[in-house]
Amino acid sequence: MEAPRIPRPWPLGPRGVLLAGLVSAAVGAHLYLGLSWADLVPRGTGAQVCGDFFAAALRPAWTYEADFVPPGSAPFLLRLGEALLRTIVFASVGMTLALGMAVPLGFLASDAWWEDTRGGEDSRTGRGRLVQGLVRAVMAGMRSIHELLWALLFLAAFGLNTFSAVAALALPFGGTLAKVFAELIDETGGESSAALRAAGGGGLALFLFGRLPGALADMASYAFYRFECAIRSSAILGFFGYPTLGYYLHRSFENLHYREVWTYLYALALLVLALEAWSAALRRRFVA
Amino acid sequence: MNPEQRRREVQRLHRSRPRSALLRWSGIALGALALFSLVSGEVAFSEARDPRRWSNLRRFLSEEALPRALAEPGAGWIDGWNWGARLWRERGAEALGATLSISLVAMGMAALLGSFLALASARSLMRPDPLIQGEPQSAGWWPRVGRAVRWLCTLLRAIPEYVWAFLLLSMWGATAWPAIVALALHNAGILGRLGAETIEDTPPRELRALRMLGANRRGLAVFGLWPGALTRYALFVFYRFETCVREATVLGLLGISSLGYWVQDARARQHYDDMLLFIGLGALLVLGADVASLLLRRWVRRAG
Repeated sequence: MEAPRIPRPWPLGPRGVLLAGLVSAAVGAHLYLGLSWADLVPRGTGAQVCGDFFAAALRPAWTYEADFVPPGSAPFLLRLGEALLRTIVFASVGMTLALGMAVPLGFLASDAWWEDTRGGEDSRTGRGRLVQGLVRAVMAGMRSIHELLWALLFLAAFGLNTFSAVAALALPFGGTLAKVFAELIDETGGESSAALRAAGGGGLALFLFGRLPGALADMASYAFYRFECAIRSSAILGFFGYPTLGYYLHRSFENLHYREVWTYLYALALLVLALEAWSAALRRRFVA
Repeated sequence: MNPEQRRREVQRLHRSRPRSALLRWSGIALGALALFSLVSGEVAFSEARDPRRWSNLRRFLSEEALPRALAEPGAGWIDGWNWGARLWRERGAEALGATLSISLVAMGMAALLGSFLALASARSLMRPDPLIQGEPQSAGWWPRVGRAVRWLCTLLRAIPEYVWAFLLLSMWGATAWPAIVALALHNAGILGRLGAETIEDTPPRELRALRMLGANRRGLAVFGLWPGALTRYALFVFYRFETCVREATVLGLLGISSLGYWVQDARARQHYDDMLLFIGLGALLVLGADVASLLLRRWVRRAG
């Protein structure tokens, strides 16, 4: 039964309080940073860069902008294609490793795992709780450090190599995926697993066939969305010297080749758009 | 049921399972992509077996990562504490405040901009006559504006914050603005899309009644659609806030004064102990924002 509605004691409801709080926090933060809106108008060389850069937006480059191209370098569009391919390759290796970590971690972090494999409601032993807590702590540590900071750590500890790049992607993505997997698994009702248990099922099979199928579509859909994020992160890793899109974008911008920069930006946007359309088609069919 | 019948029944059920070519081919394509990526040689897995790298890692963990203050002869725990406290007083506290402030201002701007983008790209509103069915709905200017705004949203969210900040930095110099505007643009693109989807999912009956009573497009948007979508929109805003804090930390690597600035600074001096301290501080901030966003979302959901 729904509780009777109590008249609001205040001119603002809880939602209003929250919005007012958000606005005042933003204004407070604005004052704390001492921001001046006048700084938003670019001046001097900044104005020059701004004008040139946005003027180039409608004329993306199809060939190198430089007057002199070292002999033997690949045509611009081929380089673009290579950069895109490497961006995708780094992202998919990172995602493969991340999924490899997220599946076991996500299982162990969910309550459903402990219920199903140990038989019955809340039959977790002290050790089970300890393992679950440890797994959750490891996941929190993995995802609380941004992939670029992981990349810096790996650069410092392991040197500049492509394995460091994919490991830096895999750790935070694995932690995030594991957290969401655990939540999705726990959100599926326990009805079918309870029915299977009543029919004599138990252990791992109960979890895999009674619990997991209910969450699988959502898990796949979320993993696909994270793949899209991995593409963006993989592109940015180029700023640290890895041969993905960001590397070439950075270099073109430093050389003032703004039309090339726009080509890279549009290519990244198209790639993300294509992935979005693909994942939307999959979601329409399987989740809704 | 004898075993033979049972086997047949299982086979029949297996044959009649729902199947989809799209799912099958998507699975095959993604599997092939993963396999190709693993064997393409672009990622040198052999590096992970290089003994030089491992001795590098050992040195990093056993020497460079430990606070310098502890390495001096006769140093005790109190020296380690003093080292940490000094860094916190001199840089950490201020950088933490700046990181949080940047994400708060950015979130406010993104929420505002995103709500305009959401209304201007919602298919149910951007039609010749909103919410009335049966009319030709793709003619006129409104659908074109809607389509253009949807494209804008895609471009905004497809370009990562880090790239936006990098580009804007050269125009505005090293104030906090490039970070704020970069975060605001990217998140406004995401919130615009999520908000538009929420508006499109709003059940149209009450709104139709308003429309029949003569409410115009603006009236419908401001008094009909937006209040109804606001709760879910607020949920999305708080969900993005968490990510925003994470990204604000990192944008400092470009030279904007957030935590990332001191990470980069320590790295340039090869003071890896300081670097780890600032990274740890960032991790704590992210976990704090995670919890705050969870509590706020729970409150919004309860408040309706």
